Amino acid sequence: MTLRRFFRRSREDAELVQELESHIQHEIDDNIARGMSAEETHRQALLKLGNPLVIRDRVWESNRLGWLENLWRDLHYAARILARNPGFTLVALLVMALGIGANTAIYSFLDSLLLRSLPVADPKSLVVVSWHAKPWSRGDDRNFVMESMSGTTYADAKLGVISGIFPYPAFPLMHDDAVFSHVFSYCHTREVRTLSISIKGQADTATGELVSGDYFNGLEVVPAAGRPILEDDDRIGAPAVAVLSYAFSEAHFGGAANAAGQSILINNLPFTVVGIAPPEFFGVDPSMAPDVYLPMHSNLLLGAQIPFGFSAADYLDQNSYWMEVMARLRSGVSMAQAEAKLAPRFHQWVAGTAKKDKERENLPVLFLREGAGGLDTLRQRFSKPLFVLMTLVVLILGIACANVANLLLSRAASRKREIALRLSEGASRMRVIGQLLTESVLLAFAGGALGVLIAVWGIRFLAVLMSLGPNDTSFHAELNWHVLAAAAGLSLLTGLLFGLAPALQSTDLNLAETLKETRTVQARARRSAWPFSATQVLVVGQIAISLLMLVAAGLFVRTLANLQSVNLGFNRENLLLLQVNARQSGHQDADISPFYENLRERLAAIPGVRSASLTGGSLIQGESSMPISLPGQKPRDDTRFAVVGPGFMSTMQISLVAGREIDSRDRPGSQPVAVINEEFARLNFPGRNPVGQHLMLWKGDDDKDLARDMEIVGVSRNATYGGLRRETLPVVYFAYNQGYPQPNEMMFVLRTVGDPTAFVNSVREVVHQADPRLPISDIQTQNAEIAESLHQEIMLAELCTAFAILALIIASVGLYGTISYTVARRTGELGIRMALGARRGPVVWMVLREVCVLAAVGLAISIPIALGTSRLIGSFLFGMKPNDPLALGVAVMILLAAALLAGCVPARKAAYIDPMTALRHE
Amino acid sequence: MAGNPQASGAMVQGTLDMLILRTLITGPAHGHTIAHVIEHASENVLEVEQGSLYPALHRLEHRGWVSSYWGVSENNRKAKFYKLTAAGRKQLSAETNRWRSVVAAIGRVLGETAE
Repeated sequence: MTLRRFFRRSREDAELVQELESHIQHEIDDNIARGMSAEETHRQALLKLGNPLVIRDRVWESNRLGWLENLWRDLHYAARILARNPGFTLVALLVMALGIGANTAIYSFLDSLLLRSLPVADPKSLVVVSWHAKPWSRGDDRNFVMESMSGTTYADAKLGVISGIFPYPAFPLMHDDAVFSHVFSYCHTREVRTLSISIKGQADTATGELVSGDYFNGLEVVPAAGRPILEDDDRIGAPAVAVLSYAFSEAHFGGAANAAGQSILINNLPFTVVGIAPPEFFGVDPSMAPDVYLPMHSNLLLGAQIPFGFSAADYLDQNSYWMEVMARLRSGVSMAQAEAKLAPRFHQWVAGTAKKDKERENLPVLFLREGAGGLDTLRQRFSKPLFVLMTLVVLILGIACANVANLLLSRAASRKREIALRLSEGASRMRVIGQLLTESVLLAFAGGALGVLIAVWGIRFLAVLMSLGPNDTSFHAELNWHVLAAAAGLSLLTGLLFGLAPALQSTDLNLAETLKETRTVQARARRSAWPFSATQVLVVGQIAISLLMLVAAGLFVRTLANLQSVNLGFNRENLLLLQVNARQSGHQDADISPFYENLRERLAAIPGVRSASLTGGSLIQGESSMPISLPGQKPRDDTRFAVVGPGFMSTMQISLVAGREIDSRDRPGSQPVAVINEEFARLNFPGRNPVGQHLMLWKGDDDKDLARDMEIVGVSRNATYGGLRRETLPVVYFAYNQGYPQPNEMMFVLRTVGDPTAFVNSVREVVHQADPRLPISDIQTQNAEIAESLHQEIMLAELCTAFAILALIIASVGLYGTISYTVARRTGELGIRMALGARRGPVVWMVLREVCVLAAVGLAISIPIALGTSRLIGSFLFGMKPNDPLALGVAVMILLAAALLAGCVPARKAAYIDPMTALRHE
Repeated sequence: MAGNPQASGAMVQGTLDMLILRTLITGPAHGHTIAHVIEHASENVLEVEQGSLYPALHRLEHRGWVSSYWGVSENNRKAKFYKLTAAGRKQLSAETNRWRSVVAAIGRVLGETAE
C-alpha cells in the first residue's frame, strides 16, 4: 500500500462514481435493445449492478492505510477526550512542561559543554599537549621540576595532577613534521590578563591572550579583516602588532573594517592593529574569550614595565612552566602515534631539568588530549555541577511522569465502562492500548512543546546564574537541533512511560462484570497478594524522590549559609572596591606611589566616604607569596602577604590585637613596617610579643638579596585570605610604598556611609580627574565580590531549592489526588459509618493513616538512598559532613508536613460527609 | 477485506482476475463489455458478480496488470477502458498454467475416486 494511493483515494472514488454511472447507462442501452420498458430498464440495471455505495466502499477500503488512519483517528479522538477534561489536561500539561522544560534547559548546557567544537576548520585533528604527574608537596620541600608556574593544574582521580603548561625550551621538542602539520602555543600570563587600552584618547580595559606565530594559521582561522599574527611578528624586536576580537573591534571602532590598520596604546605602548578575528572565534579556551591577541614575544615589552614581569630569562628557564601548546595532526596520524613519538622525547628532556633525585622520581609524563572542544577549563568548572543538576531534573521528570500516570490511572477508573464498551464491540486490546497511548503521547508532546518554551526562558536564567558577572559571555547554550531532538525523544519516552501502566491496567477487564458494575461494586478493589495499588506505588515513588531532592537542597543551602557566615575577620557591609593600574597608563616607578597616595586622599575626601585605603589584591580572590623570614632564618618563599596602604585595617575594620596598624606615618624612606596576623604570630612567635620584632623580605629564594628589613608594629585578628573555603593562613601585611616590590595594580577599598553603589559615579569622576588616561577595570561592592566568588554555591542552592519545591508540589498534588480518590471511592462506606454514629476524629484518622503509611514507606526507601548518595556531592559541601543530620531531619519534617497537608483536605471532606447524601449516591 | 456482503459462490475465488485478464487479450474494453464478454463466452454459465467486478478492476490496475483510460464506447458513451499491460500478459499466462495444472490434478483425483 503506498501513501500516494492513500492520498489519491478521494479522486479515485469520484472517478469510480462516473465509471459506475457509465456502466448503468450501457446496461440500460442493452435492456432497451432487448425491448424492456423505460422504467424497468433502469431498475433492472441497478438491480444487476448491486448497491453502488457498497462497491465504492470496497474500493475505498482497498486503498486504506491502516496504521495511518488509525493514528489519525486516535489523535483526533485523543484531542477530543483531552479537551473534554480541561482541568486534568491543564495540570498534566503543566507538570510535563515543567519536567521537560527543566531537562531541556539543563541538557542544552551539557550539550554545549560536552559536544561543542571549536569554530575552526577540522577541529577533530587538533590535540592539546599536556602532562600528568603524581601530586607533589608545595613549599620548601617541593619535589617537582616545575619551580614556578603561570597557568592551571587540575587534580585528576586517575592520573593525579594534569596540566597543559610547559616551559618555552620544551616547545621545539614538539615540532615534529612527521606527525604534526602545525604546532602553536598561547598563554594568559599576568602581563595580559588585564590590559589598559587607549583608543583615540579613550581609556578602557581588555583581556589579552599571547599567541605564537603559527597560532592563527594552525587553527586555520581566517581573519574578518586584515591579516592574522604571523611567524615574523613573534620575534624579539619585531614591530608591535595586535589582532582584536570581532566584538571588541565593533565596540571600539564600529566595525572590523574600520579597526584594521589603526594604532592603539596597550599599557601605554604603541601597537598596530593588523587584523580582526572572525565573529565566531573566541580563542581556544571558551572560558577566556580574549579581546586582544598579541604575539607571544610581546610579553617582553609588557613585562618590562612591571615588577616581576616577563623577561628574556624566562624564555630560557627550563623549570618555569607557563605556555600551553596545541598541535594539528597530519591526516592519517592518530593521537596515539603522535603521543608515542613525543612522550619519550619529552621524558628524556625533562629528566635533564631535574635537580635532585626526589624530582626524578616524579617527572611529568607527556600525553595528548583531544583539542576539538577547546581547553577544558569550562568543563572542569561546570561539568560536575551540571551533572548534579541534570540528575535532579531527571528526578523531577520522574516525579512528573509518576504524577501524570496517576492522574491517568484515576481517570482510567472512570473510563472503565467506555473502554469495556469498546472492547466488547470488537476492538482488539492492542487497538485500545494504542488509543490510550496515543492520548498520553499527545499529552507528552504538547507538554514537551510548552517545555521548550520554558527551556528558552530557563536557558537565559541559567546563563545569568552560571556567568561570573554580568559581562561574562563565555558560556552560552542554545536550542540547537540535538537539544530539540532530545526534548522530542524525551516527550515520546515519557508519554509511553506514564501511559503504559494505566493503559495496560485499564484494558485488563472482565467485560461482562464491568459493564454490569455499579458504583458500589466498583468500590470493592480487587484483592491481590500485593498490598499496594499501582497508584500507591507511584505516590510512594514520588515521596521518595522528593525527599532526595529536599536533602540535596538542604545540603546546598546549608553549605551556602555556612560560607556566607564564615567569619571574615572584617566588615563586608558598605565597602566599595575598585581596581586600577596606574603603571599601564604610563606612570613610572617614582611617580606611582605618590599618584596612588594622592588618589587615595581624593577618594577619602568624597562626602559620605568614611575612609579609603588600598591593597595589592582582593582578600577574597587572590593570594600571593614572597620569601620572608625571621632574622637569621632561611626564607620561606610561601609566606602569604598583602601590600596595603595607610588605614587599611581600620577601613576594613580588621581589629588589632596588639600595636598599631600601618598608617600615614609609614612613608617611602621611613622605617619599613609590617603587621602580622594572629596565625603568623602563633606560628612564629609562640609566647613572645611580636611587636618590635623584625621580618626580612628577600628578593630571591636565598638570603642574599635583602629587599626590606621590616619592623612588626602590630598584630591583627585573622581575616579571610585567599577565599572563603580556605583554612586560616599566616599572613604578613606590609606598606605598598616602602620600596621593593614596587606597586603595580591596586585595589582601592572605600568604607561608605550607606549603600556603596550610590558612590560609583562620584568615584569614577574622581579617578577621571586624577588621570583621564586611567581606566577602572573593576568596581563593585565587597558583598558583590563575595557573591561572585560563591556563584557556583549560590547557583546550586537556588536551583536545587527551586527544584525541591517543584518536586514537593508535584508530589503533594499526586498524594492529594490519590487520597481524594480513595475518599470518593469510599463515600458510601463512610456514609454508612457516619450514619451508624462514627465520630469525625476516627474518620479523619482513617484517611490520614493512609497518608502516613504511604509517606512512611516512601521515607523508608529514600532515607537509605539519601545516606548512600549524598557522599557523591561531598566535594560541593562546606562546613559539614555529607550525611548532615540537620539537613536530613529538616527534609523529613518538610516532607511529612507537606504530606499531611495534602491529606488534610480530603480527610476533612471525609469527616463532613453527610450520611444521607452519601447513601443516596448509591 | 472485511465486510463482503455478497458471495454467491458463482465464481471460484481468484478466477475473476484471470478471466478479466483473458478478456482483455483481444484488446481494451470497459467494465460493462468485460462482464458481458465473460458471461457470453461461458455461455452464461459464469455470472459475473458486478459488485465484485469494479473492485477487481481497480485491484488489477493497482498491481500494474492493467492500465486504464477514458474513452468513448461503441454506444457513443463515455466509458473507462482497461488495457492489458506486459506484466498483465505475463500474469495471465502464469495464472492460466496454474489453473490448468490444478484442474488436471482435480480431474485425476475425481477420476480415481469415480472408479
